[in-house]
Amino acid sequence: MSRYNRRAEVNAGHARAQGVTRYYAVTYRPGGATMPTNEEFQQWMDAVACHGDKQAFAALFKYFAPRIKGFLMRSGSDAALAEELAQETMVAVWRKAASFNAEHAGVSTWIFTIARNLRISHFRRLPASNSLDEPGMWSADEQAADAPDAPDERMFIEQREHSVRQALAALPSAQAQILRLSFFDGQAHPKIAQELGIPLGTVKSRIRLAVNQLRRALDEFNPKS
Amino acid sequence: MIQHHPGEELLLTLAAGHLDSGPAVLVDAHVERCASCRAQWRQLQAIGGALIDDAEPALLETHALARTLERIDARDGTSNANGSIQRTITTPRPPLPNGAIWPRSLHGSTISRWRWMGPGMRWSRIELPHEPNASLHLLRIAPGRSLPIHSHDGIEFTQVLCGSFDDGRAVFGPGDFDAADGNVHHQPIVRDSGECVCLAYVSAPLKFDSKLAAVIGRWIGM
Repeated sequence: MSRYNRRAEVNAGHARAQGVTRYYAVTYRPGGATMPTNEEFQQWMDAVACHGDKQAFAALFKYFAPRIKGFLMRSGSDAALAEELAQETMVAVWRKAASFNAEHAGVSTWIFTIARNLRISHFRRLPASNSLDEPGMWSADEQAADAPDAPDERMFIEQREHSVRQALAALPSAQAQILRLSFFDGQAHPKIAQELGIPLGTVKSRIRLAVNQLRRALDEFNPKS
Repeated sequence: MIQHHPGEELLLTLAAGHLDSGPAVLVDAHVERCASCRAQWRQLQAIGGALIDDAEPALLETHALARTLERIDARDGTSNANGSIQRTITTPRPPLPNGAIWPRSLHGSTISRWRWMGPGMRWSRIELPHEPNASLHLLRIAPGRSLPIHSHDGIEFTQVLCGSFDDGRAVFGPGDFDAADGNVHHQPIVRDSGECVCLAYVSAPLKFDSKLAAVIGRWIGM
């Protein structure tokens, strides 16, 4: 069990035992310009999950909603669609807060996956309210009982998320660029090839190289004990 | 032990949310079952998280938060807010051999009964609700039987659910994933250890060497 999960459980148990709504200090940073820490994200998530805390939700909204919208617009959505999907993503954050698993992803990554799935549902013309509960999509995160994670994959999540950022920053710029473009561009690889003016085969081999470099860099940041 | 995995660019495209639903069902089914690909897939998703953090914040509409809270209130009355997922399989599915498990990525799709296509060979058509034309099939082949020799105009993805086959390039067993394209000319032969069930996706009809096989291929839609 991760440190975060354990803490959430302790807090929830504590609040239940005391019969009160909330017992731990959550800082909301009104107007704060710097990026909240992962610890703060986690506290806000706990407060939303355990207590339906709207102030904590507002703090998450303030940070994430404009960024989700920005990300979606960068990915080719028009402003109206990006706004709609950003709001729907935050509705899902509220509804699914309790299912957030800090062992699987950091808060930003989890929110990215929600926005991504809603965008897919939109283009599949599924009603948003259904798609949130459509388990057929991206079910891999709910791992099968016969396929537990290898023990050495249970790397402490905060460290992994941090390492991915470090590793991305350390990649040669052509490789980092191709990873970013893979996320932004809908028509994926042929379009990227066109955009960069390189053959499709080169795009694929550059991706392979970038992913392997990323993996090597992560191994370096997180030597297996 | 899973030996054959989808390539990095497939995992990346899946993680980014840009893989078409047909191939996504297969790659997702593999990731669901393969711990090492799942770990890699999570790492790749973390790139998405980093890109959200780095994204240029866009100006929201006025009252965006209030409107979002209204949506939450409107929906809280009608559904449970604890994030649990209701799982119901609405359509009947054909039986699988013992030991084979339905990939969760098939949830919501319509799966036909087993149909005969030759001695010891059966097939079933899978229809995705949002993309009914994607060419997705289940193949169920008896030990020692082989599929007709073929090549590919597009790509063929295969995810093994149970049993194993050998196509001259390698042996593919439970959980293995294969991608074959125009450079691959092969004849998968199911090994004697037991029935083999595979999930198969083709982006274009297969090119069979034999005319009879081509007719059957057209009939099945592969």
